[in-house]
Amino acid sequence: MRPLTVPTALVTGASRGLGATIARFLAGEGFELFLTARGGRALEETADALRVFGTEIHTSVGDVTDSRHRTVLRDLVSTAGRLDLLVNNASELGPSPLPPLVRHPLAEFEQVYRTNVVAPLALVQELLPFLEQAGGQIVNISSDAAVGGYPGWGSYGASKAAFDLVSLTLAHELQDRGISVVVVDPGDLRTTMHQAAFPGEDISDRPLPEVTMPFWAWLLHQPRDAVSGRRFRAQSERWEVPA
Amino acid sequence: MSANSLEFHLPPARAAIQTPEDRGSHRDAVRLLVSRPSGDSHHRFSELPELLRAGDLLVVNESSTLPASVPGRADFGAFRVSISTAYGPDLWLVEPRWDFDKPGPLPLAPGDRLTLADVPARYISDYPGIPRLGFVHLAGDLRKAMQDLGSPIRYGYLSQGYPLDEYQTVFGRIPGSAEMPSAGRPFTPRVVRHLELAGVAIAPIVLHTGVSSLEPGDAQDGSAPVFPEPFGVPASTVEAIRRTRAQGGRVIAVGTSVVRALESATDGCGLRAARGFTRVYLNPKRPARNLDGLVTGFHEGGSTHLALLAAVAGEERIRRAYQAAIESGYLWHEFGDSHLILLR
Repeated sequence: MRPLTVPTALVTGASRGLGATIARFLAGEGFELFLTARGGRALEETADALRVFGTEIHTSVGDVTDSRHRTVLRDLVSTAGRLDLLVNNASELGPSPLPPLVRHPLAEFEQVYRTNVVAPLALVQELLPFLEQAGGQIVNISSDAAVGGYPGWGSYGASKAAFDLVSLTLAHELQDRGISVVVVDPGDLRTTMHQAAFPGEDISDRPLPEVTMPFWAWLLHQPRDAVSGRRFRAQSERWEVPA
Repeated sequence: MSANSLEFHLPPARAAIQTPEDRGSHRDAVRLLVSRPSGDSHHRFSELPELLRAGDLLVVNESSTLPASVPGRADFGAFRVSISTAYGPDLWLVEPRWDFDKPGPLPLAPGDRLTLADVPARYISDYPGIPRLGFVHLAGDLRKAMQDLGSPIRYGYLSQGYPLDEYQTVFGRIPGSAEMPSAGRPFTPRVVRHLELAGVAIAPIVLHTGVSSLEPGDAQDGSAPVFPEPFGVPASTVEAIRRTRAQGGRVIAVGTSVVRALESATDGCGLRAARGFTRVYLNPKRPARNLDGLVTGFHEGGSTHLALLAAVAGEERIRRAYQAAIESGYLWHEFGDSHLILLR
């Protein structure tokens, strides 16, 4: 019952939180997965839990800001020869507690941009031939902080705003090459990163990342060209394609 | 306010346990309660063309009903599955049930193998917050298998099972609903013809209804107990509504699914053509816009449908109308009587 061509996906930041939720849904849908994260043990635990779906799961521990790690990922994906889906989920929040911009350490400001803007663009560059081979899709995880101007969220929010524009530009630039680019704001979630943004506070009113699963189910079955260049909110009460 | 604040006493005898045809009547001969701001009056559904005015517009749901109840099997045995919503050809949201009248959840875990209407499938995950529902990945054509092995979803209050035709409306054109968009059921070709002669226009939307058997406590996280459903509002219908309004006519939704579709196509700039999935949950805190009336059935207390009625007409109007319906012996549910609510 396996299809002739098994779809493949690479998910960054896949060891826990939203990345693990996306990985679980993709495994359920029969994707061969390439998963990466910095935490080796959490990544292996997540990958092990996905093996019940019977698809091939490859893991590679490392930091997406490290060009050598990106080369390792490229070589890993090259074994499949195609990449149907690249999920740029790994993100850097910045210092916790969140500092106001006027006191933000500049080295860490740059680090947030390196993780949230430069690294995912570098991955796109690295994996382009495989995305093109598959007529693939790039899903870039953004945030409402990209448009909110929330105090304390300056570095993260600005990096995500930059990432939004990188994504929209890529959508236009890659249209003729058959590659679709989508931006997704997952909404507030009960994750380690969200807790770091609110250290010591109770965030149990935020939903678990699983709440986004119906959105992934919807998005990944839309015609890829119909959603390219669009920005979606995963917890919105409606998801639309052009009428 | 929650859906639960509209509670109505409903003796069991008031449920329609048969189709009107089996009650010795006709589709368009069911009773029609008409609720106007000035009061309620009693009619037959076939009088609808005389109760409306030239220039009014009925908006109808073109979704038709699927034979969505299919046999299921897993390593623990046989069961029943209500197919709710297609996300893609091989990805569906389903409701595994022990039987027609015994809801789940069933002991299905991510990765488990099962069959739906003999099509091999893999259980992906429970629906977040509603563990009776789950996503399954199919390794075959479920739509075709449903045609062969499925039957309409039915509930315990019915005296017997009915064939799929009894669950189709004259407007149904695009298969996709797990449950009949039942407000359209009393419309017969004759009623539609008389409406046309009376100068009442008809315009379509599509909303494929999912399983409606949500039960109290389903939404464990306290969020609205609704999950996304596919909808589409075409530009031609948006234009028909605009024209009707401009000329002083009334826009009347046929069914709660139409109200939700129109509301889902409304943004800050008003109504526009739209297509996608919606889980908009209308209630008195989130009233419906763009509407002058609604044709619907009679709904159970505490249901999301009833909250929607209150969102259209206000809680007081609905309370008054339901009191009149109960006193006069109207019949509830999909094969029951009809209710025309006019706001002006």
